[in-house]
Amino acid sequence: MHKTTDNELLQDAKKNVSQCDRCGTCLPICPLFEAKGVETSSARGKNTIARALAEGGLEPTPDVLAAVNFCLLCRACVETCPSKIKTDEAMINVRQYLINRAGGPSVKYKAIGGFLKSRGMVKIAAGTLSILRKLGLNSVFPDGMVPEEYTRAHFLAAFAGPAALGQKVLPSDVAVTATTKVAYFKGCGMRMMFPKASAETLKILKTTARVMLKNNVCCGMPHLAHGLRDEFLALAKKNIRLYEDAEVVVCDCASCGGALKHIASYFNEDPEWKDQAAAFSRKVMDLTEYLVKVGYTPRQKVDTTFTYHDPCHLVRGQGIKKQPRDLLKATGKFVEMKEADTCCAGAGTFHMDYPDISSKIIEKKRQNIEGTGAAIVVTGCPGCLIQLTKAAKASGGKFKPMHISQVI
Amino acid sequence: MMREEIKKKIRDIVGPENALDSNLERFTYSYDASFIPLLPANEPDLVVRPLTTEEVSKLMVIAYEHEIPVTPRGIASGRTGGSIPLKGGISLSLDRMTKILELDEKNMMVTAEAGVRTFDLYNYCAAKGLFYPPDPASWKFSTIGGNVAENAGGMRAVKYGVTSNYVMGLEVVLADGTVLQTGGKAIKNVTGYDLVSLFTGSEGTLGIITKALLKLIPMPKKRGTLQIMFRTLDDGCMTIHKMLQSNIVPATAEIMDKTCLDAVARHRKMDLAPAIGASIVIEIDGEDDKALEAQAKQIEAVAKECGSIEFRIAQSQQESDELWAIRRGLSAAVAGLAPNRLGEDISVPRDALPEVVRRIRSVAEKYKLTIAVYGHAGDGNLHPSVLCDLSNHEEAERVHQAVEEIFKAALAVGGTLSGEHGIGITKRPYITLALGEAGVKTLKAVKQALDPKGILNPGKIW
Repeated sequence: MHKTTDNELLQDAKKNVSQCDRCGTCLPICPLFEAKGVETSSARGKNTIARALAEGGLEPTPDVLAAVNFCLLCRACVETCPSKIKTDEAMINVRQYLINRAGGPSVKYKAIGGFLKSRGMVKIAAGTLSILRKLGLNSVFPDGMVPEEYTRAHFLAAFAGPAALGQKVLPSDVAVTATTKVAYFKGCGMRMMFPKASAETLKILKTTARVMLKNNVCCGMPHLAHGLRDEFLALAKKNIRLYEDAEVVVCDCASCGGALKHIASYFNEDPEWKDQAAAFSRKVMDLTEYLVKVGYTPRQKVDTTFTYHDPCHLVRGQGIKKQPRDLLKATGKFVEMKEADTCCAGAGTFHMDYPDISSKIIEKKRQNIEGTGAAIVVTGCPGCLIQLTKAAKASGGKFKPMHISQVI
Repeated sequence: MMREEIKKKIRDIVGPENALDSNLERFTYSYDASFIPLLPANEPDLVVRPLTTEEVSKLMVIAYEHEIPVTPRGIASGRTGGSIPLKGGISLSLDRMTKILELDEKNMMVTAEAGVRTFDLYNYCAAKGLFYPPDPASWKFSTIGGNVAENAGGMRAVKYGVTSNYVMGLEVVLADGTVLQTGGKAIKNVTGYDLVSLFTGSEGTLGIITKALLKLIPMPKKRGTLQIMFRTLDDGCMTIHKMLQSNIVPATAEIMDKTCLDAVARHRKMDLAPAIGASIVIEIDGEDDKALEAQAKQIEAVAKECGSIEFRIAQSQQESDELWAIRRGLSAAVAGLAPNRLGEDISVPRDALPEVVRRIRSVAEKYKLTIAVYGHAGDGNLHPSVLCDLSNHEEAERVHQAVEEIFKAALAVGGTLSGEHGIGITKRPYITLALGEAGVKTLKAVKQALDPKGILNPGKIW
């Protein structure tokens, strides 16, 4: 297949960022610039760094790599940019370029990448922390597994109200044609950290269709973000093959869904895989997108106030904003929080790499959640759930974070 | 290069994390939003981010003693290179000075530090029913300090004026570190020279503005947005004259030519009727819906008389926001049409607007260039944007000649080089053309008196 050379990566980035007018519109939008305040941390700064690197004005030094790594890939800048500069894509390209030059990614990213690539390892890890500790990844999971109390059973017990308590979950009245072949994509984050939410997703899906179960591999997003492009492509091919017979691939992780929907664009110049990749990306749907499409009715109506945090990879990555809110409004009371679509600074491994900045950003998120008075903050991404769990802890239990499949 | 011992002294003042000198950090403080090429970079030796006026003052004492160039900077969103540290030295970033110090509701005035973003100040005052009108297109990210130093304009100038119309007082750190307080809350004040006006628009060449006392007015209760389409720019301009002559003063009246409209249509993936050659977007404000309706009716009648072909009243806040988002994003949308865009900022007497646009058209033809024209038709401030590829040397030469002719056209009809962006680096070659020898000599005399060592933002204006 066509192998992207280092130079092409850099030229791709240059083509993108050289359209930056340096106007500054992205500055107040970038959560990292907000937290750190220096130009290198802003989208504009990173665009000019990428351009200077491509045009010979900056040397590929470690601090340049650090600067391009210091990006949440949250796309807030892309959305607001009058010239629609794709800073996230430029950063991914420049990271890959610098890593290729340096002879490979850091040991840590390699370890994470290798770990997630192995289906067996991910399965063993589900329910245990020992391997994560060995890999030095235990800081990803601040409280080990997500606390037991944030499960659907507990949610129902605490908030469902007397009418729903102890009742069997009613089957949804959605009519789906018997022939629709719906498959579930189980992301690594959901599998390892939120197995209960993942089980709920499956239950919900089963009320709408006969669900095909697949033994999928990682979506490859962590690999792509940290300079392991070849691994990303290899994983993508495996998944494309695996879901050949499915008509719809439903995903309950914003990042996986975003990555899977974008697979097509990475095979544009590969004659062998181009069509299959495009066909695959077309059939991927976020859980909420799918449920609204099939007219799903939440399993219960509760007297609880929800608020919703938009995962970057859903709201900007996939343009999904309305569907989760509609589902929540149909389940209980819904209050919109301030800056709901501002990145929570989880961003894959960002919160491990830059804990101070990450806590600053999540602190603001906590205040915004508390401002709604909601008992439950809902989201659709395991990375965000980790961050929201930290926020909940800091709030002293004023609210609880839950995956959307646990409440609807 | 700056000596380590000097850097150490500065670090002692602002803290080591606020005096940055890595290659990468210096590079990212080398540019602004002007078309000055990114490379070779005009890097400062040190980026300093003070928190208080006292820190700025102590820093200036050191800079004065060692004759180190100091270039003040807000968020570096200027369009003329004003905050580019052309001679190295210190990039003095005031973006940490973000306190709004006082909102005096009785006198209707607000005091803010230089680094407060204009939009934040606007919202802060709006919450109390008070209105800070200047709204440069960059207001969501540009700072009060930068707005005052450049005497920024904006779209509301036609009805409400520009930044200088609202500056009542300033705190300025002078070249040698002296802290000057000038102006105040008294509305009538003729005690001594009007230093407030002198420092407003001085582009960081006379002193470091650290605080501003700004006048406010009551917030208009209702706002509405109108969009009118015309066959020609002349029809649009005529509409604006007739409106103003009949005492219908809109808050803003923005005009766009066909090149701009095509850029927007492309950007937003929408279709335009082929007959449309120009568009005006107007904001009206008033006491209540009835007052707005009356104004809209009057404007519609005038526009019709002047040959308008479409008239639209925004029906919701969302529709109105959408129209203004198009206008605010225009600069960048136009920039996306070509590898380079030289955006100018000429300002002419309002009645000369159609004439200067005709002259710009013939300049475009003569030099075979695309020039998009948009701007604040209500006050005669225009932004002709030359779309070009500067990597093509032959074309670059044509562009420079065209820009010079645009300036000459503006001066010929009684206008000037810059309405609201300032002179900075990009318009420096033309300053004598605009001000004459005597004018430039007088500027230099003022500069010599306030900055005898020439350390404040050197290399700018002339």
